[in-house]
Amino acid sequence: MNIRNLSLWEVLPFTLLIIFCAPIFIVLSSLFGEYSDNWIHLYNYVLVDYVSSTFFLIFGVSVLVFFIGTITAWIVTNYDFYGKSFFEWSLILPLSIPPYILAYTFTGLFDPFGDANNLMRSIFNLGSDVSIFPNVRNIYGAIIVFSFTLYPYVYLVSRSAFLNQSKSMKESARLLGLSEVGVFFRLGLPIIRPAAIGGLMLVIMETLSDFGAVDHFAIQTFTTGIFRTWQGMYDLQTAMQLASLLLLVVGLFFILERNSRNKAAFTSNDSSFRPDNETKLSNMKSFWAFLICFIPLFIGFILPITELIYWAFESESSFINKKFIQTSFNSISLATISGLVTAFLALIINFSIRFKPSTIIKRLSSLLSIGYAVPGLILAVGMVQLLIYVDNNFLDSTSIVLTGSIFGLLLAYVIKTYALANSSIESGYERITSYMDDSSKLLGSTGWGMLARVHLPLLKTSFLTATLLVMSEVVKELPATLILRPFNFETLAVSTYIYAAEERMFQAASPAIAIVLIGLIPIFFLSKMIRSNKSG
Amino acid sequence: MSDLILELKDLSHSYDGKEISLNNTSLAVDKAERVSILGPSGSGKSTLLRLIAGLEKPYSGTIAIQGKIVSSANHMVAPEKRNVGLVVQEKALFPHLTVAKNIGFGIRKNQKKTEVISDLLSLFKIEHLSNKYPHEVSGGEQQRTALARSMAPDPELLMLDEPFSALDKELKEKLYTELNQIFKEREQTIILVTHDLDEAEVLSDKKIHLKNT
Repeated sequence: MNIRNLSLWEVLPFTLLIIFCAPIFIVLSSLFGEYSDNWIHLYNYVLVDYVSSTFFLIFGVSVLVFFIGTITAWIVTNYDFYGKSFFEWSLILPLSIPPYILAYTFTGLFDPFGDANNLMRSIFNLGSDVSIFPNVRNIYGAIIVFSFTLYPYVYLVSRSAFLNQSKSMKESARLLGLSEVGVFFRLGLPIIRPAAIGGLMLVIMETLSDFGAVDHFAIQTFTTGIFRTWQGMYDLQTAMQLASLLLLVVGLFFILERNSRNKAAFTSNDSSFRPDNETKLSNMKSFWAFLICFIPLFIGFILPITELIYWAFESESSFINKKFIQTSFNSISLATISGLVTAFLALIINFSIRFKPSTIIKRLSSLLSIGYAVPGLILAVGMVQLLIYVDNNFLDSTSIVLTGSIFGLLLAYVIKTYALANSSIESGYERITSYMDDSSKLLGSTGWGMLARVHLPLLKTSFLTATLLVMSEVVKELPATLILRPFNFETLAVSTYIYAAEERMFQAASPAIAIVLIGLIPIFFLSKMIRSNKSG
Repeated sequence: MSDLILELKDLSHSYDGKEISLNNTSLAVDKAERVSILGPSGSGKSTLLRLIAGLEKPYSGTIAIQGKIVSSANHMVAPEKRNVGLVVQEKALFPHLTVAKNIGFGIRKNQKKTEVISDLLSLFKIEHLSNKYPHEVSGGEQQRTALARSMAPDPELLMLDEPFSALDKELKEKLYTELNQIFKEREQTIILVTHDLDEAEVLSDKKIHLKNT
């Protein structure tokens, strides 16, 4: 390939890849730098705690999420029971609740003087020293919080895989001696295992990335450790070294997720889905099926929403005050700009793959999705270093231009959410045949013309979906925003975090509700898809 | 003990409670008997097999296997407790298991599992495929595996629902000869649903015609 002959369509993926990977490489490069006394202190005293509590957390979350996700998916796919069509789509609603918001409502409910305990005391006339519900500010509480907000990742992939399992295969298993429960454990689960593990890897990556929930429960994990080392000890180098370790762990799960996605091919059986696949359950069994599906929806969505609404009503200041309007404006503007920029970049990259087909560009483009797996906190650590470097070497070295600016924050959002926009645009492109490109070229539209006049109008829905997916992710994002935001600049997530950290839960209600409402927008489209298309 | 394996009495069935898919059908099948059921599409041939297997519930009438009532309008014995086998055109092999493991799927652990699997592998001439996955073998070999799997738990009654319709003529004829021998040797009771008269002629000794209801 002659460098002089390269067009914009070929240069852009390379350039983006360099920018996207720069913060990650900066963090990893710290492993080869000097190790300070702080590192030795961390290594000798707390690293074992970070590692053990992080692994215990992801182990607990994995087990619980695997069972909640697969069992609910199996029930709604194979049985006809009271509320089935409602649960089919509503089971994904907890995706709109970020784990840190569930954590805040959990402590608000179950702390010794939380609302749930107070309610029990007043109902059963108990003394103020009696607590009915156990303490949730521990690792077990965190496991429950992550499991009940993240199980929809496993539910969605499992449901789709179960729908592809043929009826005759399950019937054969019954005739070969398996009971209904036996069919689930010996046939249903083993066949969808690769797909479910793929979903589980995403859950693990989300759990490893979280900062808000573990910080609220005061659990010593990698992310809280990185934050404390940086913001408490003011030792960025050690924070980056700690971040590198976490990045290596995340990288391992990222590779496992990719591998399981390739293996998931065998979950699609050659027999097609039949709508008469469902067994009608008797009244008693129908009740149990309802209960099994209702519990995750209740804990992951109904309970936090109810508590947030209660707080909003109890709050002395009005729900919509000046500060709320300002933070909402900040969040929505940031989300809209990031959404449009990321969707546009994904469009250009996918167009360049189409316009200048080359294996190298294709591989490079798939690498651009790497940011999704990188925890926001690590991205922020790398981004700060990158911006300082650019400020010092290319811009005004006497003052800071990019560091602590909106630009850095937007760039982090774009890197973090590119994979979401890309998956939407990519699937949109799969529906446009190459014959259309040929006709467009013959009729004189090529390059930008083809993109604007042929592809973009056909990709309107995909572009909108991509923008919405990015927007909801940006509004929820906490750790990177907390670190990269300009001085005194608050978003809904930051505002919720600050109020919760100060235990001002009533005031935290309005920004938290706004986050959930915005998060519900893509969920609404996803649930509409589930309702209209059985194979989801 | 009577030689009667299966007895259907005035069996009727409807999928939606309105349209009748099978009407007042009676049938008796003796041990080692091979019966084929012929009839046009929609006459209820496959429904009949599904009713016997316990995968559908009758609207009225009874089904008895070895003298024991297993299905009636208000009583159903679970499919896994009927000791019957069913092979369908789709084969329905388990994609995550090898050929040998598919065959061994229905055999209980305390039986001579390995021995039964290897006997069936050699009986159906698929020993060389034992470690292959279903998607790695041909359509004919998949069908042999499905037949071997359904015979592995030694069912009292083996039902075949148009199992060869997706195979080419040459392969079918080869299989007929082999299966005839296998079924006779093992004194296997068979109900075959087909629309192919030649197939019914070769594989069964009694033919029943179902008419549209």
